Amino acid sequence: MTTTLFERGQVNQIRVHVLPTKRFKTFAVSLYAGVPLKEETVTKAALTPFVLRRGTASYPETTLFREQLEHMYGAGFGFDIYKRGNYQIVTFRMDTINDYFVQSADSLLQQTFSFLGDVFTNPLTENGGFRSSYVKAEKDNVRKKLESIINDKARYAAERCMEEMFKGDVYRLNPLGSREQLEGITEQSLYQSYSDWLQNAHLDLYVVGDTTLEEVTALVEKYFRLSRTSSPEYSHDAVEFRKGEVNSVIERLNVNQGKLNMGLRTEITYGDDRYASALMYSGILGSYPHSKLFVNVREKASLAYYASSRYDGHKGLATIQSGIEIQNYEKALNIIKEQLESMRQGQISELEMSQTKAMIRNQLQEMQDSAFEMIAYDFNRVLSGKDRPAEELLAQVEAVTQQDIVDAAQTFHLDTIYFLTGQKEE
Amino acid sequence: MEKITYDKLQETLYHEKMDNGLEVYVLPKPGFSKTYATFSTKYGSIDNHFKVEGQDEVKVPDGIAHFLEHKMFEEPEGDIFSTFASNGASANAFTSFNQTVYLFSATDHVYENIETLVNFVQNPYFTDQNVEKEKGIIGQEINMYQDNPDWRVYFGLIEAFYKVHPVHIDIAGTVESIGTITKETLYTCYNAFYHPSNMLLFVVGGVEPERVLELVRENQVKKDYKPQGSIERIFDQEPNAVAEAKKVIKLPVSLPKCLFGFKDTRVGLAGEQLIRRDLVTKLMLDLLFGSSTKLYQKLYDMELISDSFGHEFNSDTNYSFSAVGGDTRDPDLLISTVKEEVTKLAEAGFERSDFERAVKKKIGGYLRMLNSPENIAHEFTRYRFRGGDLFSIVQLYESITLDEVNERLKEHTDWNQLAVSLVVSPE
Repeated sequence: MTTTLFERGQVNQIRVHVLPTKRFKTFAVSLYAGVPLKEETVTKAALTPFVLRRGTASYPETTLFREQLEHMYGAGFGFDIYKRGNYQIVTFRMDTINDYFVQSADSLLQQTFSFLGDVFTNPLTENGGFRSSYVKAEKDNVRKKLESIINDKARYAAERCMEEMFKGDVYRLNPLGSREQLEGITEQSLYQSYSDWLQNAHLDLYVVGDTTLEEVTALVEKYFRLSRTSSPEYSHDAVEFRKGEVNSVIERLNVNQGKLNMGLRTEITYGDDRYASALMYSGILGSYPHSKLFVNVREKASLAYYASSRYDGHKGLATIQSGIEIQNYEKALNIIKEQLESMRQGQISELEMSQTKAMIRNQLQEMQDSAFEMIAYDFNRVLSGKDRPAEELLAQVEAVTQQDIVDAAQTFHLDTIYFLTGQKEE
Repeated sequence: MEKITYDKLQETLYHEKMDNGLEVYVLPKPGFSKTYATFSTKYGSIDNHFKVEGQDEVKVPDGIAHFLEHKMFEEPEGDIFSTFASNGASANAFTSFNQTVYLFSATDHVYENIETLVNFVQNPYFTDQNVEKEKGIIGQEINMYQDNPDWRVYFGLIEAFYKVHPVHIDIAGTVESIGTITKETLYTCYNAFYHPSNMLLFVVGGVEPERVLELVRENQVKKDYKPQGSIERIFDQEPNAVAEAKKVIKLPVSLPKCLFGFKDTRVGLAGEQLIRRDLVTKLMLDLLFGSSTKLYQKLYDMELISDSFGHEFNSDTNYSFSAVGGDTRDPDLLISTVKEEVTKLAEAGFERSDFERAVKKKIGGYLRMLNSPENIAHEFTRYRFRGGDLFSIVQLYESITLDEVNERLKEHTDWNQLAVSLVVSPE
């Protein structure tokens, strides 16, 4: 396995992580800005990047802003807003061609930092706030995004399941915020919250490409106009558990296919020494086409096209998802519960062990071929406070025994069963 | 073994055509951990009416190419996913209008996995029982797409364009059409389209080219394929006019989904000509509807479009259409505003500076694509099946002229060839 070593530094209270390599034709740049997930701030923090991508002091009109990206050989620029554990994270990404491959007068890496630094720290302002037409349009845009969740039934069911499971926990919040809170946001109040966000967010900047820590540090210093006084560390609270009965929810909508989603809680999180065992648990249960859910729900019972599980170590949860014929609800639910029980009982074959280890090994090794995946994996370290390089996780996975998985299985508790079904009684 | 070097791209490609006709390409990626391989047949959902030289003409049920793809994963000794998993390989497949692609990615046991890929695709195993079982699974896949408004609005548009050409038939077919599939019909299609002379193997990643080619050579010699005659794909005459000017589907959505586009009447292009028109059209659509254009900004300011707004162009020898749109509060106003602006632009032509920037953007996007082994394999195969070369695209882009793009704008945006597809909420 290729060892990947990020070189690390700090400048303007931003942590900087650089992986110098000639393997790619591009420079990959990610800027992570994380804040605690809170009802009062979630919507403003979500709206902020949408307004920032409309224009900067240097490129005030959106068409100019986007033309500039095209001048840079169609540099990739985008952002994501999501939750990890109890944090709301905004990630800006840029992907720019290495100058070697094109005829460019100025360094494209330097242009990338000039652009990203402007987006993040030098936005267009008018009368002590953002430009009001941009705020108005992007409020409308985010509102439409929130409303459109219903269009994708699998995603809608997954989000509704989490909402039910985390009633009373900040994790219930949509990382894009809420429609109600969007209403009251003004160009001034948004600018104020942006200023606080710049001051207080956890900031990590990553670069993978043919460069050095020195070069990147100098570019951040030059192009990121920040006057931060500190650089906060992510905190790592223990997960809290809702105790009691399994919560079953049935929701009706005009759909052809029923969506069965389940949520499980576990005390094993990313920083836990049993993390590798939890990964193996989810892998054997449902993360691959050789896993119990795929084999039993799809291949043997022919009930579904997809049936899988996913483990999230940042929050300490696992989800199960499947799309089924509406009248097969009980049948599918029983088969899934049988698989959960067989995991607890340790009905795990040598073949399942070796196949799942091989698949996890493959995923960890493949990651090394994608700049953004290497960045995302390394960010787990920052977020969780647990330094576990891929090589080390790999060794831990190899060492997991059947008993370790059975022990891990006892920590996974079924919490919520959510079924999205048709409007008619079947 | 043929070695082709692309100096400016820093890529070297190895190629060999096997005695039985199979084309094999290997692109080593020094420093990469993973290997990605695709084994593709030039056979997709549109190939539902055909004749192999010396055999009878056949018509087969809708959705059979996709059904066949599912069934290939079953071997007499069980599911091939299990064999791949034992060697740490992540395997999959997909079916499009004109190809079926089997693939894996792996970082260990790479040569064994290549052999598994080739062997399972060359070893069909269909029984009455396993064919029946698959109908339940694919039925759920069809239902899933029925609930997906983006898929429905897209297929709605193709149905609005095409009356006869099978491109308008859903790739997975319908629950009814797959109900008529038998192991016999599957073997008929398999034998026609999975002959090595209709297939291409592409391997990209941390591999030694000679070792891959040696492995495939030995593997193929043992299988003793007999030469096969040419395949005639039969398409009935498609009228020039669109089948329906407007198609409306009801599904619960937060806002209407509106997709519109133009059906080209000039068809019959192949090879370089088809590829060139493809690139020219995509450039033209980007100049019309790209996110940095004045039109895009105008529509956005009018709150007629959101980030979901996009455009694409899809073509082959016998079909050719654009698809533009997204979520909108007012489909009629969206289309009338577009019509007004596009008509003006078609008169005046694009600005040279905009054109040059758009070419730059395309070249940059192409180079970024080359970071991804998956994209390289898929795009290379797609170009090869059309008789082109993925690695010569930069030169092609550089040779496109502004006049050519302006001409294409006038030709393609023929308002008599417009069709509109909508998905709206039932109430």
